[in-house]
Amino acid sequence: MTEEKNFKKKLESFHDKYYKLLLLIPIAILVFSFIYMFVFYSNNGDFIYKDFSLTGGTSITISGQIDAVKLEEALSKKLDEINTREIYDLVTREQTALIIQTKTETEEAKEILEGYLGYKLNNKNSSFEFIGSDLSENFYKQLLIAILFAFGFMAIVVFIIFRTFVPSLAVIISAFADIFMTLTLVNIFGIKMSSAGIVAFLMLVGYSVDTDILLTNRILKRYEGSLNQRIFGAFKTGITMTLTSLLALVFALIVVSSFSIILTQIFTILVIGLGFDIFNTWITNVSILKWYVKSKGKE
Amino acid sequence: MKIKLTWKIWILIIAVVLSLLAVFGTPMSFFQKGVLVTSVEQNSTISEQGLKQGQIITEIDGLEIDGLENYLEVMQEKFNSNQSVKTILKTKDSEIILFSKNPPPIIVSEIPKTNIKTGLDISGGSRALVKAQNIKLSSSDAEDLKKVIENRLNVYGIEDVKITTITDFSGDYYIRIEIAGTTPEDLKNLISQQGKFEAKIGNEIVFIGGEKDITSVTRSGQDAIIESCQESNDFYFCNFRFTIFLSEDAAKRHSKITDKLDINSTIDGSYLSEKLDLFLDDKLVDSLLIGEGLKGRITTQISISGSGTADTQEEAYENARNEMNNLQTILITGSLPYKLEVVKLDTISPSLGKEFQNSIFLAGISALFVVSLFIFLRYRNFKSSIALLLTSLSEIIIILGIASIISWNLDLPSIAGILATIGIGIDQQIIILDEARETFSSLKQRLKRAFTIILGAYFTAVVAMIPLYWAAAGFFKGFAITTIIGITAGVLITRPAFTDIIRKIEE
Repeated sequence: MTEEKNFKKKLESFHDKYYKLLLLIPIAILVFSFIYMFVFYSNNGDFIYKDFSLTGGTSITISGQIDAVKLEEALSKKLDEINTREIYDLVTREQTALIIQTKTETEEAKEILEGYLGYKLNNKNSSFEFIGSDLSENFYKQLLIAILFAFGFMAIVVFIIFRTFVPSLAVIISAFADIFMTLTLVNIFGIKMSSAGIVAFLMLVGYSVDTDILLTNRILKRYEGSLNQRIFGAFKTGITMTLTSLLALVFALIVVSSFSIILTQIFTILVIGLGFDIFNTWITNVSILKWYVKSKGKE
Repeated sequence: MKIKLTWKIWILIIAVVLSLLAVFGTPMSFFQKGVLVTSVEQNSTISEQGLKQGQIITEIDGLEIDGLENYLEVMQEKFNSNQSVKTILKTKDSEIILFSKNPPPIIVSEIPKTNIKTGLDISGGSRALVKAQNIKLSSSDAEDLKKVIENRLNVYGIEDVKITTITDFSGDYYIRIEIAGTTPEDLKNLISQQGKFEAKIGNEIVFIGGEKDITSVTRSGQDAIIESCQESNDFYFCNFRFTIFLSEDAAKRHSKITDKLDINSTIDGSYLSEKLDLFLDDKLVDSLLIGEGLKGRITTQISISGSGTADTQEEAYENARNEMNNLQTILITGSLPYKLEVVKLDTISPSLGKEFQNSIFLAGISALFVVSLFIFLRYRNFKSSIALLLTSLSEIIIILGIASIISWNLDLPSIAGILATIGIGIDQQIIILDEARETFSSLKQRLKRAFTIILGAYFTAVVAMIPLYWAAAGFFKGFAITTIIGITAGVLITRPAFTDIIRKIEE
């Protein structure tokens, strides 16, 4: 017990000494993200790599065991920007279907695939999804607008709840940092984003402020214990929350990655986002808040 | 030990029971045997006798039917010879007696065990989003267009269809068409083809599609048939023929135009010098010879023909039947007011969807299992951990219950929304649990504070979801809806109850 207390004490004095310096870490990462995204945008003319659902094109799911590599090799010249993914049975690990995504239109893609496979694709052995390029462009714009609105609304609600400038701003900054760092990492991984992936970012807006609200509430709206005790109490609760969500997401991710591109992408983005959330809540937000409280002498 | 339940806990219990009722219906329907009628052919004898969509067939010829397989077996056995047989179908409150050579023209399915409806991306089917080409529609234009498409699909014979007009941020109108189950092969044509039908002799229009010129179109019996199939070189073609009836005006036009024509005599017979050319969207579909007897005559009865081709005879026959149905549909419903463009078209195979459902279930269960293990390790308190899990489970039940009541189709985004909600729910229960375990001030005070945090988190989550309701033509609406239902039910029902449960445990 004394050891634990000692450790706690050491941690406290370390944090009291360096909490301002700690802020340099998120600032460094944010600066890196900004530079990366700037270069990314000037190279690609966009914020993300898009998959067929945002550029327009077709996704075809064909049941059965079809060799993805061979198919891609054979058809890479015929089908525009071909992309494949195997779907498999979670238990036996046997392939059950193949998903083929391409910018080529459905009818044409279907014919090419039928030629390759040597049989007709119909309602029983395949699924088709098609989206026109104008509509997908439109979807993309609207989802971006939706994220901006969501973020704006969230910011307003945060200001209404806390009614003080710096702490509210701290929450908003760490939510922004979550989203922006996640976006950067998703691009570094080279993930082709679908419309559902963008929706995952929207979820992140809601998810990431939870722990920040908890923290700010515990620190500003109550006076039991020292500032550090309140921060540590909030940390214990908050980290339990985030770890629980992360665990659930990682396990769900393992399962869904066997069958759904959409859910896999949503969960991957959330896992990355929640990872950054731990970092931004307990370093970025805590440091700003501590600085604020100390400077106001409200300890 | 006697536990007194508070009213908040009672509300949770009642909400869960009501939700279970909403999901499963009454226990009676759960054990109901038979098959559900999902569609009945229009104008058939059986529909005239009163069999309707939604009824449940319990017996055939006095034999109890306990499922789809059983039904199909019985039907196959009854109609394996080509003779007329008597069939007695018994439903809950009626009995229908038929004499026929073929099985009754109805589609049946298993009785669904729950009232939960899954979206097309899970249960299979097709959905399309269409838009007028080059024109910005007003809301009333869109409504009109919707009616025309609706009529066309109904006439074609597609029963289980849902058509909605939707608008997005930029004020563009779209028509969304959703068809459950099997997708007609030429759905794309059916909905987007303008269907401007013109019958011309030379350059003069004799009649066009739609009820103004065409009073009726024969769709069954001797006057609408696939006449013959032939092999030619490498492929097969099948001819179809059906009769239509012209309005008086159109018939007079016909007489006036044909009156001016000459008669050509050939070995096959005598015909008029010009043919009747049928155009569909300005493309020539067929040219019909006009018998000399029709010259200058006011005739209201016209025979329309065409053909279907394919590599095999079976397919050619099928194509001919589809072509005929398509043409009949266009002749009856007339052309669409605008040129349409299919901007999104998804057809999902029902068998692929089935596997999906199981996997999603597995994902949910495994996530919940891991979470419970983690919670138990963290708190080392069996009662609280169980309370937390049961509360989360009840939240899922309540979301499903509300989804059943408002007949919301659970698609993939909706399911992602449910998973997200459960995550948020567990997080907030952890806040409550931790506050309750603090030592300062009174327990009541602490739980009240937990609620301020929860309300804050609630409002930020709700406002973040609202824009999604309209964005992207509503394709992610399900996500917004299940999330909002879930977290609202959480704040109003499950969290207050959980707070009371924890209070009971802690006191």
